[in-house]
Amino acid sequence: MERPVAAQPEPPHRVGPVERLTSTDHKNVGILYCVTAFGFFLVGGALAGLMRVELTEPARQVVSTQAYNTLFTIHGTVMIFLFVAPFGIGLANYLIPLQIGAPDMAFPRLNLTSYWFFAGAGLLILLSGVASASGGAAMGWTAYTPLSELRYSPGVGLDLWILGIVLVAISNVMGGVNILTTVFLMRAPGMTMWRLPIFTWNMVVTAILGLVAFPPAVAAFALLFIDRRLGGHAFDPLGGGDPALYQHLFWFLGHPEVYILILPFFGIITEVIPVFSRKPLFGYLGIVLATIAIGALSMGVWAHHMFTTGVVNNPFFSAMSLLIAVPTGVKFFAWTGTMWRGKIHFTVPMLFALAFLLNFLIGGVTGVMLASAPIDFHMNDSYFVVAHFHYTIMGGSVFAIFAGIYFWFPKMTGVMLRERLGRVVAALLFVGFNLTFWPQFVLGLRGFPRRYVSYPADIGFDTPNLVSTIGYAVLFAGVVVFLADVAVSLWRRVPAGDDPWDANSLEWVTTSPPPEHNFDALPQIRSERPAFDLRHPELAP
Amino acid sequence: MRTTVWMMLALFAFGAISGTIYWFVTYEPAGTLLLWSFSLMPLIVAGYLVLHGGVRVGTPADDPEATPDRAAGQELGTFPAASTWPVVLVLGSITVGASLVYGLLLLPVGLGVMALAVLGLMRESRD
Repeated sequence: MERPVAAQPEPPHRVGPVERLTSTDHKNVGILYCVTAFGFFLVGGALAGLMRVELTEPARQVVSTQAYNTLFTIHGTVMIFLFVAPFGIGLANYLIPLQIGAPDMAFPRLNLTSYWFFAGAGLLILLSGVASASGGAAMGWTAYTPLSELRYSPGVGLDLWILGIVLVAISNVMGGVNILTTVFLMRAPGMTMWRLPIFTWNMVVTAILGLVAFPPAVAAFALLFIDRRLGGHAFDPLGGGDPALYQHLFWFLGHPEVYILILPFFGIITEVIPVFSRKPLFGYLGIVLATIAIGALSMGVWAHHMFTTGVVNNPFFSAMSLLIAVPTGVKFFAWTGTMWRGKIHFTVPMLFALAFLLNFLIGGVTGVMLASAPIDFHMNDSYFVVAHFHYTIMGGSVFAIFAGIYFWFPKMTGVMLRERLGRVVAALLFVGFNLTFWPQFVLGLRGFPRRYVSYPADIGFDTPNLVSTIGYAVLFAGVVVFLADVAVSLWRRVPAGDDPWDANSLEWVTTSPPPEHNFDALPQIRSERPAFDLRHPELAP
Repeated sequence: MRTTVWMMLALFAFGAISGTIYWFVTYEPAGTLLLWSFSLMPLIVAGYLVLHGGVRVGTPADDPEATPDRAAGQELGTFPAASTWPVVLVLGSITVGASLVYGLLLLPVGLGVMALAVLGLMRESRD
């Protein structure tokens, strides 16, 4: 069979700022999402730097107690709601139509509206930390009641924060509807659900989670707002309200949100590993079923965040939380099986994928520990939890984000990122990350509570905190080198070609960057690896 | 489409069954209602797909042997190139939100901007 010729790349078209900000093309919206989310990552990272500087030595030295509270509140909110989750949605916007052979997302205007709701939410959340003379948002990203009631958090910062989170929720619901409709109704002929690329499968489950988990949280935030501004008492114990109800509603979003933060990036890793192992994915069906199982189970584990409240059934939630390790283990098994006896190419995306596996394994194992209620009673609200969370979300999702950037940057821009600089970035981020967060496990085991601005000297907290801050400096250097890599690559413009990696999924069949409606001609889809089938028709099923 | 329907029905069953088990284990109403409400969303999607022939009628995308020309002549609708109304809609929404925090004087302004954006989007979608 003759291999179809991909469309010739169009001459570079300089996109003006107005066109960039108003174009409904899914590729443009995807890039807007990713760039904006990465900007928020830099902001959130800077806030983390201030916290690390403050904690380098015992006693308070750089920021006030209240400012420190605002720092960790906005840092957490930005990283969770404005960086990791939206970056996944951005990649989904860019990739899903390309991976399923569609010309665009199902609702392009809704897509752009979803982006602007996210950008507006970001603005409000940043303002909530700084623009309020009477007190910025400083209650932690969970906004637990009664701390977040007007009596204890009197400024308007928290109100702006609530509005920002509600806009994030609206944006997520819009994005979820768009993703599901696109995947269910706009697939190319022959692209059955069992041939969907794994990234797209993961985004389907992520979209479902967003659709079912955000509305109860919006209800919680609306009730909190009514408590604060309109005299309600839903969560105010002094008025007969129930603070535990807030925690139920919040964590019914909050824990699935953790999977909204990780499932898209499981998808990236599952795309990257087979390509650079030069093998088909081991256990496609198992991975898809594991993804659906993780999504379903994640809806039933929210109250493991409430073990110590004494108002939930700990054995039920402990069992559900431990169960989730099974499908996650299936994924690890499939990733390892894919690499087993493969011809592994240690390119930059693969290095990040391997770093992801190591980091996420530690995050996952400590998660299993925390799913056990007796251990959680000891570790609750300590730095052990902080370290666990960062090993899953930063060591997992953020490393996968970098794998995805290095993997798909050539498709998005038509130029390659620099391989050598990329290796430096991978090394700095891996070393910096582990230097920063491993000592925090030690801090937690020694009893250092999270969210404390200072600590006494000579009781075992000094050295881990110092090492952690040094680690942050290495991480910071890694991000600087990455930004330099992007700048140099866009300046030098080494052409990538349509498929620089000999990859598997459909987006690699079209040009880099793809034309306006993605494909001039679609190939016949015979398996979950249409690009591979085109290169090797003799092996196609 | 059949796979989609079964996946949604499986999620519905998971939510309904785990919610029921949760009720008999804990007698705790908030979590029970949350789990049952979780089961409703996939049920709605599955119901919509079944009502619109999702189980009976196969699309070219569901046919593993389908060739690309099966999509020839298929009407996917038109795709707008650009729109400024989403930005206006979000500005209106932020103004409405700010009015609840800073003072209701801003409310009519915000609602007006939102209405303008909705009208703009409706008009644009007819073009």
